[in-house]
Amino acid sequence: MGLFQGFLNPALAAGALLAVVPLLIHLLNRQRHKPMEWAAMRFVEAAFRRTRRRSQFENLILLLLRMGAVALLAFAVARPFLGEESLLAPLTESRRDVVLVIDRSASTGYRESVSSVFERLLERARERLNELDGSRGDRVTLITADRAPSTLSSHGPEDAIAALSTLTSPSDHALDLAAALAEVVGLAERDAAGTQSSVLEVVVLTDLQRRTFTAPRGETAEAKLETPALLRALDRLEELGVRVRIEDLGAGALTPANLGLIGIETSDRLLGAGLESEVVVTVANHGPKVVTDARVVLEIDGQRLPTRPVEVPARGTASVQFPFTPRRTGEHVLEASLAGDRLTFDDTVALVVDVPAPVRVLLVDGAPSERLDKAETGYLGAVLEAPLDDSLGRTKYQPFDVRTLTVAGYTANEVDLNEVDVLVLANLVSLPPSSVERIEERVAAGGSVVFTVGDAIANARGLETFTTRFFAEDGTGLLPARPRRVFEVPERRDRFHRAATFDAEHPALEFFADERWVSYLTEVPVYGFLAVEPLADARVLAALDDAARSPLLIERPYDRGLTYLWTTSIDGDWTNLPELPASFVPLVHEWFRHAGRPAPRASTVALGRALSTEFARFPREAVLVLPSGDRRRIDAPPRDLGDGRWRLDLVDTTDQKGVWRLEQQAAPTQAFVVEADHSEGDLDRMEAAEIEAFHPALQLASFEPGTDVIEQDDASRGELWRWLAALALGALIAETLWSAWIGRKRSVVR
Amino acid sequence: MADDPIKAVAGAAGHGASGAGAVGRDAARQGYQKSLDPAVLDRLSGLSLVARTVVEGMMAGQHRSPHKGSSIEFAQHRPYVPGDELKHVDWKIFARSNRLVVKEFVEETNFTCRILLDASESMGFGTLRWSKLDYARWAAAALAHLVIRQRDAAGLVTFDSAVREAMPPTNGTHQLAAVLNALENTRATGNAGVGSVLASLVPQLKSRGIVAVFSDFFDDLDTIVSAIRQLRHSGHDPILFQILDPQELDFEFESLLRLDGLEGAGRQKVDPKAIRVAYKEEIAKHNEALRLQAQRMNADLVTITTDTPLDVALSTYLAHRSARARSSG
Repeated sequence: MGLFQGFLNPALAAGALLAVVPLLIHLLNRQRHKPMEWAAMRFVEAAFRRTRRRSQFENLILLLLRMGAVALLAFAVARPFLGEESLLAPLTESRRDVVLVIDRSASTGYRESVSSVFERLLERARERLNELDGSRGDRVTLITADRAPSTLSSHGPEDAIAALSTLTSPSDHALDLAAALAEVVGLAERDAAGTQSSVLEVVVLTDLQRRTFTAPRGETAEAKLETPALLRALDRLEELGVRVRIEDLGAGALTPANLGLIGIETSDRLLGAGLESEVVVTVANHGPKVVTDARVVLEIDGQRLPTRPVEVPARGTASVQFPFTPRRTGEHVLEASLAGDRLTFDDTVALVVDVPAPVRVLLVDGAPSERLDKAETGYLGAVLEAPLDDSLGRTKYQPFDVRTLTVAGYTANEVDLNEVDVLVLANLVSLPPSSVERIEERVAAGGSVVFTVGDAIANARGLETFTTRFFAEDGTGLLPARPRRVFEVPERRDRFHRAATFDAEHPALEFFADERWVSYLTEVPVYGFLAVEPLADARVLAALDDAARSPLLIERPYDRGLTYLWTTSIDGDWTNLPELPASFVPLVHEWFRHAGRPAPRASTVALGRALSTEFARFPREAVLVLPSGDRRRIDAPPRDLGDGRWRLDLVDTTDQKGVWRLEQQAAPTQAFVVEADHSEGDLDRMEAAEIEAFHPALQLASFEPGTDVIEQDDASRGELWRWLAALALGALIAETLWSAWIGRKRSVVR
Repeated sequence: MADDPIKAVAGAAGHGASGAGAVGRDAARQGYQKSLDPAVLDRLSGLSLVARTVVEGMMAGQHRSPHKGSSIEFAQHRPYVPGDELKHVDWKIFARSNRLVVKEFVEETNFTCRILLDASESMGFGTLRWSKLDYARWAAAALAHLVIRQRDAAGLVTFDSAVREAMPPTNGTHQLAAVLNALENTRATGNAGVGSVLASLVPQLKSRGIVAVFSDFFDDLDTIVSAIRQLRHSGHDPILFQILDPQELDFEFESLLRLDGLEGAGRQKVDPKAIRVAYKEEIAKHNEALRLQAQRMNADLVTITTDTPLDVALSTYLAHRSARARSSG
């Protein structure tokens, strides 16, 4: 090995090449002699012969001093270091270069005694930093690690101590040790500076949570075969000769007792206000012993319900139910918490539920009649009416708000379609163009329109009118498919069609996906239907069993709304469906509930993700209230989505778990639940032997606060930069004096 | 006089020499106007150029010859010696006392001045707007004018390594015009040979007188000294005008130089600052040796740099010389 092992700033060492600059200037100057004729050459030659050797010597000394000053200065700022075996070792300063990684994950919030694990980590970090000496040139890189590493300081220990004081509490994230060590690998590689050897002292202060070392492998087959990132980072550190000292400041027990809430949900789908339901909260016991007196609290819209005890088995889960009967429609915030636990991070869960208002349905009957069985929408209106069942009736639950109009009544009354969620045009051939235009506008804005057919289009003229009025090849019409012709079976006794296939994953039909109910959709006889050709972006939800597999129900998005075509009648003319309540009621209810309700707002976000929301009006004076109570004014301008809708980006990275609320002027508050990784509450810890066996680059340092100070690695190295800087300064001074002496000597007239 | 001799010369327009011939006058007038500064002449005309030693003269004047011979003013008698001319025997004394004595007279003599101008290539050097040769020509012209205005005889010899042109000393405005014309046409070429040329000229100088040599004397010192010694032994009064460029003494250059030697002296790249002191020592040593040798031989050495006002240089020297002549007798 040479004099130096490497440089802390290797790029700056290349500056030593600048030492050739004085030489180049000297050589260039030699090429720039000004020609002149001269008479007294005999004296010039005599003088030149006398002075040549001395002048060359003086110039050489001057040149060497200049080159030396530049080279020494470059080496000094590059900060060379060398090992103990170097000849220059006695001149070096034993500087320490420490990387201190502090586990800031949520699990370090565990409080076993007076102080939490995180507070002990900070205290231990201060002790380690106080061992360093900034005046000696010690350098420390302070990294906090949770979801992603963050370098707080990379200079002297004084800066690191100052940076440490800014840390007050752990984050809500889990620890990604692989990411933190990848950062350390980068530091070690720069420190090694191509020598494949680094003497960084790396210390990780952590609670030694097991899940930190057992991160799940990727899902794909290739990912499963791939070496985990943590092992890759440790392998690289081992190659560089770096040992990672793990200081365990976690709880005393290997499996600390800890309860955590890992789930909250409603027992049933919330269909409307007044319907009884339950809120189910799931409690996990990560400890080794059963907990018999866990107490769970639920708050609904800030109203606290009585605490409920629950017994949770060791390393198991238990659920506790709370009654929930929403008295109003709209959003409700459910927040459950666990009392008296040592780790508060996982003691809360929250959920935002949306209790839907009744779907507003307008039935336009193309063949009205006084008799229920004769009217086109008679049965349909009946099944959409509020149930007369006693239990439901007590709750005043009303899933649909139904109105029925004739075509004449519809066109004459100028119905405000903004008050309609689902518009049903039943067996209707035509409407005035202005009415059609208004329907198109409403659907484009988010409403739904349902076409059902019947004998009105059985003739060619009716079909043509129907097609002309409601269909457009370019998709601008309301019909999702081009009508072709009407099929009717000649004899209903002998022949009929049934739904051969249906889209069981579609919300409107998923009810029939259950094997018990599938026949209620697939055994309904259909005697007549309208053969159609769906548009390219239309979705066939159900198809008949004829040879052409003719669509029975088609859905197509129309801007922000939906259009549907039921290719048979909604009364009993072409099908027996209205006479089969077990089929008709669930089909219509599920279908119309889906058609009449916009997609629910995404109210749950994973911790660390961005938060944004949409508004139907321009948001004003938006303020985001964090779970901690802090308020952030949203100054980012909203983005115009068109049709009066706006998107507002609230935050790029959510950094707190819990309920975030967006308040704005003259608008209801929106709530968002930011969910963290519940498994972070599992505090199961690694044993010392496991750490040593996990990877040879790891070294566990048992530690008791204030008693054990880990000695510095013997393989310390020293720096020479002060000597080099002094030499550079000396060379500059010598150059100045030498130059002045030469100048004075040459200007003396004798 | 103006500091710049070139300006001084230019300012001389309109002050022509009197008595020049028609064609020769025109030619002489041109050279006269280019070479002489009237202001210089005004100042020099008030001074007497007095020979320190005896020179022969053909014309009566202010110069008293130390040689005793035929003249109008009786000096003394001395015994006859074989070889004396019989016409100088005082026959009256012989008749009275039967002794052969000859009469000696103090003669009023004419003053003869020979101007020797070094026109070698090295004299063409100059860091000012004029060269050493230019300056030497002005000085020589002024001296010739002064001598001839005093009705003395002036001659001119230009040379490099050999005599290039020789004009015997005579007086009269025609001579002055011829001298000035010759000066005007002199160019700096050829190698220098001051010592050898002077040595070769000594036998040819029939009448004794002042020999004014204008040169930089960048030649072998021994040869120069030997030639001066011969001049002195032949009864001449040598005056050495050493004309130098100021930078040849100071060498105050800053940037690196590639010096191309004149007269085939080779080429040398130098750092002026590095050799300045040594150079000045070398040239000072040469000049000092020349001065000592001249002093030893009782010859005048006048070193003039080309930035010195010409009238100041000449009048100072002539005043000094005049004062010395008065004090010596």
